[in-house]
Amino acid sequence: MTEVTRGSVLETVLSILSKMDEDGELEVEITPETWLVADMGLESIDVVVLGTTVQEHYHMSMPFAEFLAEVGQRETRDIQVREFVDFVVRHLNGMG
Amino acid sequence: MKRRTVLIGLDGATFSVLDPLMNQGIMPFLKEFLVTGARAPLRSVIPPLTPPAWTSLVTGRSPGNHGIFDFFLKEETGPHIRFATSADVRCETFWSMASREGCHITVLNFPLMLPPPKVNGNVVAGGWMTPRQLRLGCRPEGLYDQIKAIPGFDPHRVVLNLAHEEKALEGCNLSEYDEWIRMHIERERQWFNIASFLLRDEPSELTGILFDGVDKIQHLCWRFLCPDASQGPLSMREEEIRRECLLYFSKLDEMLAGIVTLAGPDATIFIASDHGFGAQTETFFVNAWLAREGYLSWSDRERPRESENAVLGMRQIARHVYMLDWDKTRAYAATPSSNGIHVVPANGSSTAGVPTGEYAAFREELIQALCGVTSPGTGERVVKQIWTREEAFAGPFMRSAPDLTLCLRDGGLVSILDSDEPVKPRKMPSGTHRPEGVFMARGPGIHRGLCADELSILDVAPTLLYSLDLPIPAEMEGRVSEDLFLRTHLENHPPKFQTLRDSARTPKKGIGDNLLFDAEAEAEMAARLRAWGYIE
Repeated sequence: MTEVTRGSVLETVLSILSKMDEDGELEVEITPETWLVADMGLESIDVVVLGTTVQEHYHMSMPFAEFLAEVGQRETRDIQVREFVDFVVRHLNGMG
Repeated sequence: MKRRTVLIGLDGATFSVLDPLMNQGIMPFLKEFLVTGARAPLRSVIPPLTPPAWTSLVTGRSPGNHGIFDFFLKEETGPHIRFATSADVRCETFWSMASREGCHITVLNFPLMLPPPKVNGNVVAGGWMTPRQLRLGCRPEGLYDQIKAIPGFDPHRVVLNLAHEEKALEGCNLSEYDEWIRMHIERERQWFNIASFLLRDEPSELTGILFDGVDKIQHLCWRFLCPDASQGPLSMREEEIRRECLLYFSKLDEMLAGIVTLAGPDATIFIASDHGFGAQTETFFVNAWLAREGYLSWSDRERPRESENAVLGMRQIARHVYMLDWDKTRAYAATPSSNGIHVVPANGSSTAGVPTGEYAAFREELIQALCGVTSPGTGERVVKQIWTREEAFAGPFMRSAPDLTLCLRDGGLVSILDSDEPVKPRKMPSGTHRPEGVFMARGPGIHRGLCADELSILDVAPTLLYSLDLPIPAEMEGRVSEDLFLRTHLENHPPKFQTLRDSARTPKKGIGDNLLFDAEAEAEMAARLRAWGYIE
């Protein structure tokens, strides 16, 4: 499989997040530095659906539950877009 | 356009509620519908639970063949569970079959439709949605913008308002019932408006719309809808709540009339529920019992206990991964909704678990022990029936199902919380699922005023395909309900059968095959289950 670039994954993730917030309350642009919970106000189930949508897009399952469980152990239970993208890139390129 | 068929889903509808409402004049349209149509009890699947039942209805296959047993899916290895999605439905649905045969379809608010499937028509996913997910849950691209333009559309009222549902989660005192019930009336109205818009603007050969407020209201308000005479008359306040419940059904009846009118006089209308309802009067704390019997051990962390606002433990779903001592646990219940017990297999990394060679004997020992659970007050047996996975879920996906599935004597859900006593009476009865739902039909070639014998929920898919004059896959486990149809109609329109194409015969591979589930997200989902009445 051709290595997937970070830029293309970022574009996909931003597109999905934009759809999720297209009718929403976020007044600032979604960037790689955007926090999914603090900035976008996503609920946990929204992040789960984000993962499901990404997997459907790439036709590949990824261990999002483990990833999010690790996030849940942090003092700040939140993820920036760039970290989410990095996770997806790693698994798409088989570097889990 | 081919003959038009409409499927109206009423989650949890039961004739024991609908018949009195029709007789009391609360649901005049439905009463008239049945005078000119047919009705039959509809036997659900094991367990009679929304995700496996609706999936069986739309696929004509049993859970062991479509792979959905609960709101969640357990990994084949390990205790993790994850949220079930459309990708996990391993059989073709009649939505996709009809679409593939050239029908234009519209599917609204059915569960397990996220991500929305690619069909020839319009899909708005239902079930477990937040407002943000509605756009993602719509297909094709642009559908959400059309829906947004419907006067009065509010995504926050289409999906369940979690803040509102939290009130019900916390025990919902009597002063809050009115707002909660009216919220569900508004939700149904939002879905009705979407359906009306699409029926007018883009009519389909096959339209499906699901109203799930019936289930939610019956869970929380069963004792007002079907008061138990032995508990004495309802108080004045309780009567007010009952009137609000009746208002819900009255408004629902108006919406049913509206949809049927929009479908046109020549349409075939099916109305079906995924299961029925009845009262749950006691709680079996199955994990507490397993612990007492030595099959389960709680971890050193704080164990989840029953409390005033937590009886079944829906908030604890998926937390069993952290709550149990996996070095000492051999059997556990992961979710109240499945009424299922999982046996922990032995593996090389742990001294616990049941070795493969001992599995059959261990499971039989567990069954015998469960048969001995009795009510402390009456000494009566609490577990009415127990199915092994081979009995309940035979099929290629059986190994994802619980090892044992319980049917309690009151049909209720188990609790996965710890408790000082494994069986306790509930302070107030609540509504819980029963296997017997409803099936109603009216249209060309269908008997008028017929009360037919019980149908299987697996019969709906072949019957619906027949109504569309589409071939019925031989692999479907149900049959065309020919009793519903006039003999002359059947003679002029004999059912057609086909063998699925090879590509459709192979179970669909789910994208989520190796998905793990996030405990925190599961807790959020558990909160929704609680809100929707699977708990006190």
